[in-house]
Amino acid sequence: MAALAERSATKPARHGALAALWRPGPRHAIPILLLLLVGFAAPLLAILSFSFAPSRTFDIWHLPTLENYRTIVTETYYGSFLWSLGMATATVAILALVCYPVAYGLSKLFGRWSNLVTLLMVLPLFVSENVRLYGWILFLIKGGVLLGSLKALFGIEAESVLFTPGVIVFGMVYVYLPFMLFPMVLGLSMVPRETTEAARDLGASRWQVFTEVELPLAMPGIVIGALLTFVLAVGAIAEAKVLGGQSVIPISHDIEIAFTYAQNWPLGAALAVLLTLVVGGLVLLVLGRLDLDRILGRR
Amino acid sequence: MGAAGPRWSNALIVAWTAAVVLFLYIPSISGLLASLGASRYFNFPIAKWGLDWWGKTFAESEIRTLLSTSATIALIVTAISVAIAFFGALAFARYDWKGRSIYQKLVLLPIFFPQSVLGLALLLWFTALGIETSWQTAVFAHLIWVVPVATLVISIQVYGFDPALEEAAYDLGATRWQVLKEVTLPVLWPGLFSGALFAFLLSWGNFPLSLFTTGADQTVPEWMYAKMVAGYTPRVPVLGTVSTLGAAILLLGGYGLILLVRRARGGAN
Amino acid sequence: MVERPSILQLRQVTKQFGALTAVDHIDLDVAEGEFFTIVGPSGSGKTTLLRMLAGMESPSAGDILLKGRRINDVPANQRPTCMVFQSLALFPHRSVGQNIEFALKIRGVSPEERRARALFLMRQLRLPEDYYAKSVTKCSGGERQRVALARALAYDPQILFFDEPLSAIDYKLRKTLEKELKDIHRETGKTFMYITHSLEEAMVMSDRIGVMRGGRLVQVGTPHQIYTSPRDKFVSEFMGEVNLIEVRRGANGRVSAAAPAGEFSAPVLPAGFEHGHLVVRPEFMRFLGAAGEAENHLVGRLYNEYALGSRIQYQVRVGEHVFVLERLRQQPFAGHLDQEVLIGWDARDSILVGD
Repeated sequence: MAALAERSATKPARHGALAALWRPGPRHAIPILLLLLVGFAAPLLAILSFSFAPSRTFDIWHLPTLENYRTIVTETYYGSFLWSLGMATATVAILALVCYPVAYGLSKLFGRWSNLVTLLMVLPLFVSENVRLYGWILFLIKGGVLLGSLKALFGIEAESVLFTPGVIVFGMVYVYLPFMLFPMVLGLSMVPRETTEAARDLGASRWQVFTEVELPLAMPGIVIGALLTFVLAVGAIAEAKVLGGQSVIPISHDIEIAFTYAQNWPLGAALAVLLTLVVGGLVLLVLGRLDLDRILGRR
Repeated sequence: MGAAGPRWSNALIVAWTAAVVLFLYIPSISGLLASLGASRYFNFPIAKWGLDWWGKTFAESEIRTLLSTSATIALIVTAISVAIAFFGALAFARYDWKGRSIYQKLVLLPIFFPQSVLGLALLLWFTALGIETSWQTAVFAHLIWVVPVATLVISIQVYGFDPALEEAAYDLGATRWQVLKEVTLPVLWPGLFSGALFAFLLSWGNFPLSLFTTGADQTVPEWMYAKMVAGYTPRVPVLGTVSTLGAAILLLGGYGLILLVRRARGGAN
Repeated sequence: MVERPSILQLRQVTKQFGALTAVDHIDLDVAEGEFFTIVGPSGSGKTTLLRMLAGMESPSAGDILLKGRRINDVPANQRPTCMVFQSLALFPHRSVGQNIEFALKIRGVSPEERRARALFLMRQLRLPEDYYAKSVTKCSGGERQRVALARALAYDPQILFFDEPLSAIDYKLRKTLEKELKDIHRETGKTFMYITHSLEEAMVMSDRIGVMRGGRLVQVGTPHQIYTSPRDKFVSEFMGEVNLIEVRRGANGRVSAAAPAGEFSAPVLPAGFEHGHLVVRPEFMRFLGAAGEAENHLVGRLYNEYALGSRIQYQVRVGEHVFVLERLRQQPFAGHLDQEVLIGWDARDSILVGD
């Protein structure tokens, strides 16, 4: 509404671009945009320019070269990429199934209990993920909580599942669960109860209500959750290091190795640029289609 | 409880949710158990229980330094991010302006970005600028990820804010500053408080950004990571348990406080 | 009433949002102590106009004069006017008393004086004294209305503006509050300027009414003037259900219509009248026993009837054209549905409006 845009614009009218910037909306956006310009856009540009620097150099003032990208294509880095993408996809798929019933419960069933359940689910987010993953090691390791109990109680000796690709996905499911769950709750709370009741009343089965009404209406939230989880999982590093025991090297680990042990910053930068392209492309594609006001504001 | 479906399916959802909550807490419980063992090595079932390692852990000056570094970073990040995010949230949800929809998505980008890559990018950027990394650069790095989250948290409160409240105060003779002090801040208080809580806890628990940007300084998650890679020490479960309990107390306390204030104000809003 | 001095004068006031002209060259004089209401459908520009008068928007062109002084550039917090908002905008973190005292606190009035003034206003608005410390979020709809009004009155404004404050209230309470508001107007003697989309609401309270459409003020007059001589089809339709017949100038001072086809007696045709509408209110249209009982008559079919409390409304169809008639409940029409009926009206009970 045009009238809204003009609200509180009682300052004497100024002209030109400066005046447009000084309207209440843009004016309040300035601090955060400056922060992101210096702390987000600029570092990404730095990494981009580094990716064109000659291998194993530490400043960007060289003639640009495609050497690093050539290295990536000729060596086996695509394997790491595929592992990362594959594990992220698996994580998203599993989380969608795990979280949906919980999200449904939180938005439709639990009533005043849902605040408490939400709180319980938020809490782990605030503990560093490597600490929580380490907790799984204590649980799963030979002589740990699970296998130790099995042995002590039933005399069963089992092999630990640690240090396999499967347990890496397990760790990702664990770490990113809240990131899928909460957007999903937001999405489901956009489904008015009357619409599902109306669909039932019009003769739809429970399954039809789910596919025809609930899912499409909740989709924006589900898409945000899936996107967030996927992006975070593609860039994940701790799960493979802590739980995976280097059985698989995800792309972010390759990047870290290039920056630390290998001391080849330009190569690491090139890998990071490729990862950023994948992630950024996906994020922009999806975010571009969403109306955040509707999802967050519910007005 | 509502009655959205037949009783058995509701019961299933409740059971499933309980299982998921349990799943989320298995590592914390394991950590707690490990921290309570008296032995240098972890073996379950625990042969001898004791708080020995708690005492030892907190007696070490190295760990006190860690805690103070982490706390300093988190407190500064909280203060700065709430200030920036407050204005950011007003631009996000209060005002209607050209370019707002793009702005909203720009603000979200750092959240939708792998933190390890962001940490490396920042390291590179600091190096290119000739800035030596230390806990101060880590504060800056945390802000890039915490400010957008805090903005989002505060925005949710701002969406429920009636702009007519500000206009009414202004119409009744208040200056811009009085409007902010008497109306906007008090009404948005719960959102700002949640934003601050999130900011503190996210900064405190952050690992991927700290890893690349703290330089010679070390935060608690970094130290724990270094120790867990190097081999087992019961100090890690002890600190992990302390982190979890600290976050729980802060979160529950903060939530309780908001509830109390809401009740005192009469439920609505 | 109109002889009183003008307190507020609008001269060619215009507001543009980009290409959209929300308020279009409005001229208006509001008299001191008057209850003036602007009525219009949503999007007619009435809210924008009120916001300009209150100082929350500034006009793109034209002048706003308060007691002869141009106030275009005086910000809202320095204007001696005050607004009651559609959402009421009560401060949720403040008690009833603190809400009412807000303007006084801003002005630096001492707490004792503030309290005395708040309690006086609460008495005047029939709010119980123990509400002083009550949270506004715990008040009922009607109480909240009174708190909002008291808060505005505490500012002691020269003009009070109302932006549809009753629109979200249920019918019965709204009727009570409308009357209360008019009583408060009388007690305080202040100038009230009210906007609403309901002409019925405007009728009850106002000294004068201005009807807005598409950013323009199409008619200004007393409720009686607006009711009995609407300027055009829009105003007449805005008044509620009316019978409209599209007509053009006919022979012998009569008008002719295509649907329902016929020649009708009309009030005196204005000079130059070519084309327009004949308006007949439902209460002026009658069932006839014989064609001669009224100056105009039509043959139709009784289609349906609706009980409207004290009155009964009948729908009669003449071909495709629908007419509504109203009778008092005590004098119902004794007919059955689908019965052929004769309906009619006299020329003096109809109004001829131009395009």
